Amino acid sequence: MTASGTPHQHPSLDDPRIMLDDQIGQFEAVPPYPPRTEREAEFYSLRDGEMFVNMGPQHPSTHGVLRVVLKLNGEQVVDLDPVLGYLHRGVEKLCENSDYHHIISQIDPLEYVSSLFMEWAPVMAFEKLLDVEVPRRAEYIRVLTGELLRVSSHVLYQGWMALDLGGLAPILYSFIERDEIVEMLAAVTGQRMLFNYFRIGGVNGDLNHEFMSRLGDWMSRAAKQHEANIGLLNENEIFVRRMRDIGRLDGATALRMGTSGPNLRASGVPFDVRRAHPYSVYPELEFDIPTRGGNGGGDSLDRYLLRLDEVSQSIRIIDQCLHNMPDGPIMARLPRLLRPRPGRAWAAVEAPRGLFGTYVISDGTDQPFRMKIHDPSFVNLQLVGLLMKNNLLADTMAVMASLDPVMGGIDK
Amino acid sequence: MTTVNRAWGHLSLRGKVIIPLLFLVLIVGPIVTILFANVVGPWLADLLGANPQIVRFVVAIGGVLLFSIPAAFIIIYMELKVIAFMNLRIGPDRVGPKGAFHSLVAGLKVLTKEDFTPTGADHIVFTWAPVLVFLTAVMTFLVIPFGPGLVGQDLNIGLLYLFAVGGMSVVGLLLAGWASFNKYSLLGGLRAAAQVVSYEIPLTLSVVGLILLAGTLSLNRIAEAQAGWFTDWYVFRQPLGALIFFIAATAEANRTPFDMAEADSEIVAGFATEYSGMRFGFLFFAEYVNVFIISALLVTLFFGAWNAPVDINSILALVGLSPIAVTLDPASLGVGPLFLMLVVPVVLTVIFAVPFYLARSTRPAWQALVLGFLLFILVAVGLLFLLAYIGWPWMAGLVWFMGKSFLFVYVFVWMRGTFPRVRIDQLMGFAWKWLLPAALLNLFVTAAAIIIVKS
Repeated sequence: MTASGTPHQHPSLDDPRIMLDDQIGQFEAVPPYPPRTEREAEFYSLRDGEMFVNMGPQHPSTHGVLRVVLKLNGEQVVDLDPVLGYLHRGVEKLCENSDYHHIISQIDPLEYVSSLFMEWAPVMAFEKLLDVEVPRRAEYIRVLTGELLRVSSHVLYQGWMALDLGGLAPILYSFIERDEIVEMLAAVTGQRMLFNYFRIGGVNGDLNHEFMSRLGDWMSRAAKQHEANIGLLNENEIFVRRMRDIGRLDGATALRMGTSGPNLRASGVPFDVRRAHPYSVYPELEFDIPTRGGNGGGDSLDRYLLRLDEVSQSIRIIDQCLHNMPDGPIMARLPRLLRPRPGRAWAAVEAPRGLFGTYVISDGTDQPFRMKIHDPSFVNLQLVGLLMKNNLLADTMAVMASLDPVMGGIDK
Repeated sequence: MTTVNRAWGHLSLRGKVIIPLLFLVLIVGPIVTILFANVVGPWLADLLGANPQIVRFVVAIGGVLLFSIPAAFIIIYMELKVIAFMNLRIGPDRVGPKGAFHSLVAGLKVLTKEDFTPTGADHIVFTWAPVLVFLTAVMTFLVIPFGPGLVGQDLNIGLLYLFAVGGMSVVGLLLAGWASFNKYSLLGGLRAAAQVVSYEIPLTLSVVGLILLAGTLSLNRIAEAQAGWFTDWYVFRQPLGALIFFIAATAEANRTPFDMAEADSEIVAGFATEYSGMRFGFLFFAEYVNVFIISALLVTLFFGAWNAPVDINSILALVGLSPIAVTLDPASLGVGPLFLMLVVPVVLTVIFAVPFYLARSTRPAWQALVLGFLLFILVAVGLLFLLAYIGWPWMAGLVWFMGKSFLFVYVFVWMRGTFPRVRIDQLMGFAWKWLLPAALLNLFVTAAAIIIVKS
């Protein structure tokens, strides 16, 4: 930071003075306004041999429209600055202006890879506000569909991870699994991606024949197929060498940064909302909380392997759900127009990316007064600043993909 | 004069252009023809006859330029289809049978696209860099022996020429990366430079042992030295050298898992990020021509070049037969072949049609005849091909050379379908810490073995 306030000190590709007569400057990584904070001033001043690279918002491997301004020294990432907001829809405000039933469809596209969990948290919060007892069959259906979607999300993660490291094939094998799951969920919800299935007090429709037959087919080979998919990559020397010791995160730091979900468990902290703050019928189900990464903390490979472990646990839960599924109604009896008592409610679920929570304030009308969404991707994305520094450019992909962010949830 | 004027006035605009041109052609055409037949033609023939080397060079250049395009098309199509097969997809299936013309149409599409030059790019360098890349790729074809006698220029320093010209492609990549005025391109160009320069050393060292064995740098002579059974191939005498060459050549051609220079998930498309239209086409073609070249080089140096794996003549000699030799001289056969040419197709068509007719009673006779004719053509082409294979050594050589080369192309495509990408520091470390010592070890062991055997 020079005295004149310009962030440039040395002539470089970023120097507007060497630009030609056109407005190339508008594509620059450096913001057009003077630095607002000390951190910004420090970041946007270049030392000798450094340059900015604007990774995103359109980039093949930023998982959506994340923009990361990288400060590179050769291939080494010296510093980085994630810039958010390219997918901002103002979901919280939209929710405050929709009635309680509409909120489910408004909040659905937040994390488009696993949208049932986005419905689950607000629905649970509203049920707390309304003091509704959800029928047990509806709870089991929620757990069943949710765990199916968790499998699909984690399996897709496996493929993306490989794609970001340059492997072409695994993503297509992942999509076979995801397609199976998404098709069977479409049979029961009517939608492939944004299901809009959970309702306040239950679910929208009972399990039908097509769903059950597809699920039966899938379950008969799910575990075996999972083993086969693991074999695609886990013993690949190139893949393992790219992932090991990259982005090592110890448990204390992970907790300090508010990380949750698989990223936290991969650092050795066995925190899972399903066990820590049990909800729905999870207390009745048997499953383990897999953890990885012993004393030194978890690296990218641990985060990758942990998700594969979770897939096995989810298949276990699905199996139990199918065996324990009770008969009965799938919706509680509720009036059409919901006016919960004035008050506050917090509900959190264990989404595939971590703790997804909503905090709702009701003022007695049919719309929430305030609805705060806590998205795990957003919190987990903070880690890139810690984990990517002093790695190589290629490792930014190994780190970012291993954190598994979804931009819909981050930008809200 | 007025008649001419009136007639001229009646002519449409197109007629006013065409009719004077017609007169011009009628007058100038004969003069040019006579001049060419009597003066220019003989002079040109004398000139060409006096300089057979130049003629050979020009024909060879034309040949390799013409050959490189279909080779690239075939490899692109092969890559699309094979990777699709590995990914449980169908791949291209719209244009032509099984999508066979897909890459051809894609090539035409590239021609029609806008040739965009970004603001701030160095126009001249930006334009000529792909040409340099493409030309260096194509020029290496010149010394590759496709069959006995089927070599553009039998340079006695062919291998040296290959490494020299092949190493020049990195200049093109670096220029392309630098001139694009894009940081991703710059990173890609720098990566390409670092990678290719590093891998050039083990690549060159890996064949030095082979050169000691063969005693020549001429690819043609190296190919001839591997004649006989497949055990005479250099891969069995230089296994380590072949392995190092395979790995280093993969890196040299920027193929997965060493495709650092265009790592799409890291630096978008590397040096090719800003390219579009035919300039991108050149870069794209060069990449696939390179795949063929490294396969062809592997075959030439280590896998017996054009030689068949089995020496049929030695088997025949062992059994007690004389080697097969077909000498075709149509003039010596008399009128018989003419008669055969008239009768045999008809007879064979009918004979081949009979099973089709009998197999399904509902099939009309004409359909059976058509099928029989197609079968006859298939058989005839097969027989002709067999005749050519036996009669012409270069044909047999070409078949084996292309077969083996495309086998290795398949291996490279296979690698692309399965491997993730290595990291740049792992890549460089592998070159300097493993490949280079291994290549030196290979060289020392070979040299020592030669001295021991000779003394």
